[in-house]
Amino acid sequence: MVNKSLPSSQTCNSCGGDAARKPGRSGSAGIALAESAFGPVCLRRWLGLGLLALCAALQGCVNATVDEMTFMEPTEGIGDASVVIMGRRHAPDYETEFDFIECIGDHIRRGDDSITVLHELEFINMMYPWFEPRTAPLRTDDIDKLLTQQRVADRFSEIKLEYMIWIDGSTVETNSSGSMTCGVGPGGAGCFGFGTWGNASDYEATIWDFTDEVEVGRISANTSGQSYMPAVVVPIPIIAPVQGTACDSLGDQLLKYLSAKL
Amino acid sequence: MAAPLLDSMISGPDRLIRALGVLAGTLLLAACGAREVVVQGNFPEPLMDPLPITLGVVYSDAFAQHEIFDEAAGRAETDWLVKTGDAQVEFWNTLFGGMFQDVIRITDHDSLHARESEIDAVIIPYVADLQYTIPLHTNVKVYEIWMKYRFRLVPVTAVHDHENGDLTIDPAEQFADWTLTAYGKTPTAFLQSDEEAVNLAAVVALRDAGANFATSFTRVPGVKAWMDGDTESFDGE
Repeated sequence: MVNKSLPSSQTCNSCGGDAARKPGRSGSAGIALAESAFGPVCLRRWLGLGLLALCAALQGCVNATVDEMTFMEPTEGIGDASVVIMGRRHAPDYETEFDFIECIGDHIRRGDDSITVLHELEFINMMYPWFEPRTAPLRTDDIDKLLTQQRVADRFSEIKLEYMIWIDGSTVETNSSGSMTCGVGPGGAGCFGFGTWGNASDYEATIWDFTDEVEVGRISANTSGQSYMPAVVVPIPIIAPVQGTACDSLGDQLLKYLSAKL
Repeated sequence: MAAPLLDSMISGPDRLIRALGVLAGTLLLAACGAREVVVQGNFPEPLMDPLPITLGVVYSDAFAQHEIFDEAAGRAETDWLVKTGDAQVEFWNTLFGGMFQDVIRITDHDSLHARESEIDAVIIPYVADLQYTIPLHTNVKVYEIWMKYRFRLVPVTAVHDHENGDLTIDPAEQFADWTLTAYGKTPTAFLQSDEEAVNLAAVVALRDAGANFATSFTRVPGVKAWMDGDTESFDGE
């Protein structure tokens, strides 16, 4: 039952984003192209599909680094217990995005549907006022104080909470440059120019074993990428899925930790 | 009846010009008018072991109809009217209801005297200050609301009713008088209007006020002394 994994670090440089990592998507686009006819009637549809496939394939490069240190891995899974993933929001200058937490929860649910991941907002509401930015426990020692309230202790027993995972971090824009001009006239509309911007994500997940009231792991994910938008009549966004890659990286590691299937 | 008749008398291009004129006029007026936010939200009941206190609550008119009007400082800005009164009453009713064994809202002579003997203490909340910022003011992509409350906890004998229905509080007789602050912020989001974001920040601030109140109430010196049975230690004495 007791398992200790050594600190590990993984760096990955992926281009093409999801399309490169998940062959199913680019494969389906290829089939769509192959099925289309080459006659003049279908030329417009063919071009449309081509443009769609191009947009799906054109994704910026993302550089990701994942560090992990976990202990006491539940090798037989967590059974019918539940997990809650929450964002830290007590810092004055940033707050962990709600949709990022939702993304990680969805990633774990998709990977192993036997894991019950509680919805963050529902959990915060059902435990009000103990998980507001002002009152949320910052250390595992604070769990004892929470459990002195009988109704709080009863609620935790009711939902069978086994792991509480705190995500701290955010995604920011690091740089931007370029310019684009768009115009509309009687003959049509169009844009001309070039824009580029960089994004960086820095997240750390801290896993608390709620039953034993100890911290059992930390996983961090740092990703960065540059997005581009050239425009010659039509703007073509080449977006680097920086936050999405951070979500996938953290989600994969958490899933590996919690699931008995992997 | 007159409007459709009038419409039928206007030819096609004229109708288009008229419609564009109305649209432009509406946009112009919308740009000039104050932006109004009536704060609304769903507030959860607190998960707490209720304190064994029967609490009377008095919401003054200024509290129950609280609003802040911010006049535009220049041509680039618009006036803002943020109405928090209804949300304040709804929120504090929910919070007090979960925090205390029994809560009696005192609005007039009848409600004051109906269960006077059961009431252990009366609380009167005030909004002492409210400030807000939007990205236009600060160039930061965050909407913020900051509130300062003042609470007074008094014995029921300190609440007096008058013939005109007004309730007044005797300032010399009180258990505690304290302030607390609350803060709420929400980042900018795609397709989110300024009004929606200010509303969300206000809801976060109200929740923060509740969390602050719930966790600090029994630690307020005057409240603690009163709960310990030291009723002689009125703040006013």
